[in-house]
Amino acid sequence: MVMQQIADGLGVAGVLAIAALGLGIVFGVMKIINMAHGELIMIGAYTTYMVCTVGHLSYYAGMVASFLVAAAVGLLMERFILRRLYGRPLETLLATFGLSIFLQQFIRLVFGPDGKSVSSPFQGTWMIGDVAIPLFRLFIVIVAIVMILVTAWVMFRTRFGMQLRAVTQNRSMSECLGLNTSRIDALTFAFGAGLAGLAGAVLAPIKTVSPSMGLDYLIDSFMVVVLGGIGSLAGTALGSGLLGESNQLMTAFISETGAKMIVFLLVILVIRFRPEGLFRMERR
Amino acid sequence: MCMGVAAAVLLMGLLAGCSGSKTAPSGGTNAAASGETIKVGVLFSVSGSLAVTEKGMANAALLAIEEINASGGINGKMIQPIQEDLASEPSVAATKAKKLLQQDKVVAIVGGYTSASRQAMLPIVEQYNGVLVYPTFYEGEEYSKNIIYTGATPNQQLQEFVPWLIENVGPKVYFIGSDYVYPVETNKQVKEMLKLHGGEVVGEEYVPLGHSEFASVVNKIKAADPDFIFSTLVGDSVAAFYKQYKSYGLSPEDMPIASPVTAESEIVSMGADVAAGHYVSAAYFQTADTPENKKFVEAYQAKYGADEPITQVIEATYFSTHLLAEALKKVDDVHDADQVIKAFAGLEYNAPQGKVKIDEENNHAWLHSRIGKIGPDGQVEIVRETTEPIYPEPWSKLLFPDHEEPWKK
Repeated sequence: MVMQQIADGLGVAGVLAIAALGLGIVFGVMKIINMAHGELIMIGAYTTYMVCTVGHLSYYAGMVASFLVAAAVGLLMERFILRRLYGRPLETLLATFGLSIFLQQFIRLVFGPDGKSVSSPFQGTWMIGDVAIPLFRLFIVIVAIVMILVTAWVMFRTRFGMQLRAVTQNRSMSECLGLNTSRIDALTFAFGAGLAGLAGAVLAPIKTVSPSMGLDYLIDSFMVVVLGGIGSLAGTALGSGLLGESNQLMTAFISETGAKMIVFLLVILVIRFRPEGLFRMERR
Repeated sequence: MCMGVAAAVLLMGLLAGCSGSKTAPSGGTNAAASGETIKVGVLFSVSGSLAVTEKGMANAALLAIEEINASGGINGKMIQPIQEDLASEPSVAATKAKKLLQQDKVVAIVGGYTSASRQAMLPIVEQYNGVLVYPTFYEGEEYSKNIIYTGATPNQQLQEFVPWLIENVGPKVYFIGSDYVYPVETNKQVKEMLKLHGGEVVGEEYVPLGHSEFASVVNKIKAADPDFIFSTLVGDSVAAFYKQYKSYGLSPEDMPIASPVTAESEIVSMGADVAAGHYVSAAYFQTADTPENKKFVEAYQAKYGADEPITQVIEATYFSTHLLAEALKKVDDVHDADQVIKAFAGLEYNAPQGKVKIDEENNHAWLHSRIGKIGPDGQVEIVRETTEPIYPEPWSKLLFPDHEEPWKK
């Protein structure tokens, strides 16, 4: 039974990691508190619905489409609204909160308020002894690992990644050295939004695709990012792993509500003693 | 900069307050022309997370009003529906109810889905002495002289379903529900019935509203090995649970999920392959075989779309609006709430679910009960249904055998 919980925790951690990755990048680099992050996940899920259930294309096509559509929405958000609000966190919070409500209602008007169905491309369960691992959950974990590795590659092995990190560490100095911070911001936000869209694609087969599905993930994503350390990729990975596993292990012994409560308290405790999270990011 | 933020917040607050107040243009109501109309409030959520369920209810009320007007209205006077959006917020329900009663002077409000919204509206309708027709199945334990309850009480939801399940599926039950009053109270009733019929509780779990991660719950269920799972999950949790139940290899042949909540709309959302084989119970299913239902489904789908699922709360809102019209026809003064409520007593109607009746005394409705198995195409195959409606017990005789009956005063 405990082995099963640990295996499940990995699945949950995978979901958290994918959902939080996009937020972590946006929050870390641009200091933007994106309250519409959950809705970007939701848009990804609906894109998958349109491509797979309505368009009858393959699930992988759905994943790619979700990334692109969410990235496009993110780019629009950044260009037309967020760009004017840099350095003003309160207004950004308000603006993205408003966008979140707008996006939810928009989807509700276009698609109707009921839940949409996306079937899982990997049916079936892999049995290791007594432990059941649904194949799709395994797929999610693999996707999570791949995404973290790809993001790490982009951040540390590409020129764009280097520019991104420079802007994160010292924006004004980067500008003095000739970097087009405005363009980097736009691309970064689009990439983070795209990751959120991909998270939506991955969640659609196992959760309910509805206009309000993003709300749950907003809180969890922020917890992962704050716990792991803002701007740290390793932190996001570790944070999601910790939160996912601890939640699962606890729910084996206490109720879901109780477990959630205790997990929150633990996060508060960690932040109390280590405000920057588990992995500190260098800043000059 | 602070001023900017304050202004923005104020603006948002104003915008939120002025949300969707519209007089619904419902087909044949040309209200202004005839001068004298009877105003009826239609109050459901068409925005927010509950819109998925409540939008259909508003549709049903408007359809019924259209039909009533087409056949002569209330003694010649047309009904003018005044639709308000309660936006999935109980506090908004109270505000809008007040507006409908005070400003618009509606003769009655048809509205409310969640118990939270009904409980928010109760003091308002009592204070302004209005009439509220509440069409949703609920946990009972309430009575108001200003409310007509046309949704099923727990005894009506459970007294056929639970014994049937124990007899035909097995005695061991695992409870899973959303963490609020309806599931908790309903499960109390079910536990009493299990005692009477030889059932056994092997587990009980409540998750927060909207919760969608069920890996550990499925785990616990497997360990407990029930004969069936009794689910009172609502909203977004439903499809997620059924999907994840399937993905962990559980099967409705061995361990079906039985629910008085899961309805046609959730079946669409989770997909027919996930839903097939599980059991549901309600006063009404879209597949109910009555002539009234055939007409109703045709009319509803013609107006709102052929793919729109029709659930029990939609049917309840439909016949409740018709019942309201019948009550209004009987009184001298439609604005006299006491007369209107009295006119409901004993009123019968051929609803799509079959004949229904408002009880002479307790403001609740005699309703049918159906048990269904979800077929491979996602349609509900009815395996058992009542031929006569069941008496409503707002305070169930099982849990509260000596409870006083407030309507007797």
